[in-house]
Amino acid sequence: MSDLEPIAPRYVVRPRRRASPIWLVVAALAALLMLPIFVNSYTQYIVNTILLYSLVGLGFNIVLGYLGQLAFANAAFFGVGAYVSTLAAARLGIPFWISLLPCGVFGGMVGLLVALPALRLERYYLAIVTLTMGELLRWAYIHTDAITGGSSGVAVPDPIVFGHALTTDAQKYYVCLAVTVSLYWITRNLLRSRLGRALNAVRQNELAAASLGLSPVRVKMIAFAWSGFIVAIAGALFSIVLGRITPDSFDLTQLLLHFAIVMIGGLGSLAGSLIGAVLLTAAPELLRNVAGVQEIAFAMLLILVLLLMPQGLSGLLTRYVPALRDRFFGEEP
Amino acid sequence: MNPVLQVDGVTVRFAGLLALSDVSFSLAPGFIQAVIGPNGAGKSTLFGVISGYVKPESGRVTFANQDLTGWPPTAIARAGMRRTFQNGGIFRELTVLENVLTGIPQAWDFRIAATALRLPGIRRREAAAIGHARETLDRLGIADIADRVAGELPAGQQRLVEIARTIAARTQILLLDEPAVGLTLGELDRLGAVLRQLAAEGVSVLLVEHVIDFVMALGERILVLNHGEIIASGTPDEIRSHDAVLEAYLGRK
Amino acid sequence: MFLQLVTSGISQGSIYALVALGMTVLFRATAIVNFGHGELFMLGALFAYIFVQVVGLGFVPAAVASICVMFLVGLAIERLLIRPMGDASHMSTAMMTVAFSFLFKGLARYRYGGDVLSMPPVFSYPPIEVGGVVVTVQDVIIAGVTLGLVAVFLTTFRFSRFGRIAQAASQAPRGAVLVGINLPALHGAMWGISAALGAVAGILTAPISLIYPDMGGGVLMRAFAAMTLGGFGNFGGAVLGGLLVGIMEQLAGGYISSSLIDIFAYIVIVVVLLVFPSGLFGSKATVRV
Repeated sequence: MSDLEPIAPRYVVRPRRRASPIWLVVAALAALLMLPIFVNSYTQYIVNTILLYSLVGLGFNIVLGYLGQLAFANAAFFGVGAYVSTLAAARLGIPFWISLLPCGVFGGMVGLLVALPALRLERYYLAIVTLTMGELLRWAYIHTDAITGGSSGVAVPDPIVFGHALTTDAQKYYVCLAVTVSLYWITRNLLRSRLGRALNAVRQNELAAASLGLSPVRVKMIAFAWSGFIVAIAGALFSIVLGRITPDSFDLTQLLLHFAIVMIGGLGSLAGSLIGAVLLTAAPELLRNVAGVQEIAFAMLLILVLLLMPQGLSGLLTRYVPALRDRFFGEEP
Repeated sequence: MNPVLQVDGVTVRFAGLLALSDVSFSLAPGFIQAVIGPNGAGKSTLFGVISGYVKPESGRVTFANQDLTGWPPTAIARAGMRRTFQNGGIFRELTVLENVLTGIPQAWDFRIAATALRLPGIRRREAAAIGHARETLDRLGIADIADRVAGELPAGQQRLVEIARTIAARTQILLLDEPAVGLTLGELDRLGAVLRQLAAEGVSVLLVEHVIDFVMALGERILVLNHGEIIASGTPDEIRSHDAVLEAYLGRK
Repeated sequence: MFLQLVTSGISQGSIYALVALGMTVLFRATAIVNFGHGELFMLGALFAYIFVQVVGLGFVPAAVASICVMFLVGLAIERLLIRPMGDASHMSTAMMTVAFSFLFKGLARYRYGGDVLSMPPVFSYPPIEVGGVVVTVQDVIIAGVTLGLVAVFLTTFRFSRFGRIAQAASQAPRGAVLVGINLPALHGAMWGISAALGAVAGILTAPISLIYPDMGGGVLMRAFAAMTLGGFGNFGGAVLGGLLVGIMEQLAGGYISSSLIDIFAYIVIVVVLLVFPSGLFGSKATVRV
């Protein structure tokens, strides 16, 4: 069995890069900004959920796809972000927009904590210990009722942004959109740099990376912190989109969902995170209402993708749309 | 002239087997030195010790007057040494250009905040690195494959990519482990010319190789290893007619 | 109280030991960690229930039938889901095991919804009292079956021809193929055996605890704890680990707090992996950069 999952296949990249025609960008931007006018509340809610889960996929992909570590701490990061943001607002009165960045930082710190075992443990051991950390956190949420509301969770107060309370899905949409686009842009910049190359190098050949003066330890810690940062912020978004958070939203099943988003969308691919989220967002929504059919459908989808498209859907798409391919260097001089 | 690399009395044992026994030699700046010997002689182990992947049982490795015996590979690399790997150490899923770019910084300062926001300083740095990488590829004659994915290339070209990555940082010392494997005659000539050019610029090269013609044409000094010991050391002509060397390669008559 | 807790611990621990053993069999043979093993456990219990309640068999015939069915399920999983993946990475294979775990859970939930099923009590002998400790018949059966199975298993593996073939194949797959061992068939058999072992554990649990689609999750984590404690890939370690986890769980629950029972296994995992990663009998789990 091979050790590494090849990330989405990349063929010859034509050096000539034409900038997307400006009208296309403007049209896309306009469409995104005017979306709430054309959709009803429920669809808006689904769109919001897609956005935040694409961040979940993005964050998870950093550790799973680019760094190549089987670290299942995503649900832990997600939960930390959700609880910190919600409790800050509900118990301490800290407005959402102020607590958002600290949430991310908190997630980053948890990420560093997770990086420690990642430096020492191999594959399945790492998977198990990270799963465990997530479950321990969940136990903590359940058993510190006074603060966290225990198993019944806590209601999320309307998020306050610059003094205004957001009550509709449309308002929350703009927040989700802004945050998602920003984090994708930042991640794209980080990947198209020394850091992106370092990530790939450490995944593919640690010994060779060391011979270049590149410290695998430092790269891993950065990757985990960055992943934690993004997914925690996604967790904060999750809390305001849903309106209520319970420990069940961060259990093993949810983690496996995150895993599926990455695998189906395509491991190690920016486009993949988005695709996976679009496809699987219905699943988290519906699975919560315990219905066997949805689980079966989800399982069949997973099985099909794994058997027929091991590179995930982004692998398939990048064959036809070269612009979707990841690149790891910046601009030409 | 002070040697840039000094190896003294290095002994390495693997589970009771003596891989290197009391090996000593020095490498001067701007010199190309080759290490040859039959299979299993300990050549790659020697490289491992010098570059920090193998801890010697005894002995010392000094680089630019600094004792770096027992240092980890990353620290040694940052001190100014680069190496290639016998079985190939390229990053198969990155393009050729990206591979060479990984070789460029001598020290890895990520400057995360600036990179995240794509500040002009970072963009300039990246553009300069890309320019330098392309130059290096051009030097080795492989500029045309810059955007190919490294894993899809034939072995010889992969080797050249690895060498390009290794020389890109202009470090003081290069350790090349069998760089000539799989190269065509034209590519060999190119490589030899580039190495000589680098030596003229003051870079020291330690070379492990089996392709004898290449070694003889290039090496100013040749070390012969057998069973973990240095059995001969001298110029190509001296080695060619050295008894112990002939015996090691051809066997006793 | 101490002895009582230990006794329940042994009983619970035997279940964990069986589950861990099943997972270790598969891991040793194919280097695959089956994240869906908890669902095989659940299916074993479910099939036994079906054979008893729907088909009307007695408990023992139903158990045997369920085990046979689950062996076939294991074979089917290997043939239809794992083998076609060929040389895929660990991540993909792990995902596949997750996929069929969802599939089985979904099927169970679809058929039985949120119902929690119970098996009629199997034996109606009253519990025995030994030196102040209450021992139920179930406890004895569970411990006995586990002991017997483990003994049979270990001896067959070590001394029989099949066992030697399996060992050879796991240590040197390519060599095994060269020698003429039918590797795919062997892997299929290993999946079957692993599933059957999971089923046995499920069947033994069924009369005591209730049967519901999510019952596999908790057992999976305990099995991970057992394997981690005993050293991944070590049969004796898995069994011993399972027993220890069961006992320690009960003791912690009894003496400290009952809320600890749920996460005790997790604590074990974290402590063991961070302090002595090889577990009691395993080989090195750490990498050095």
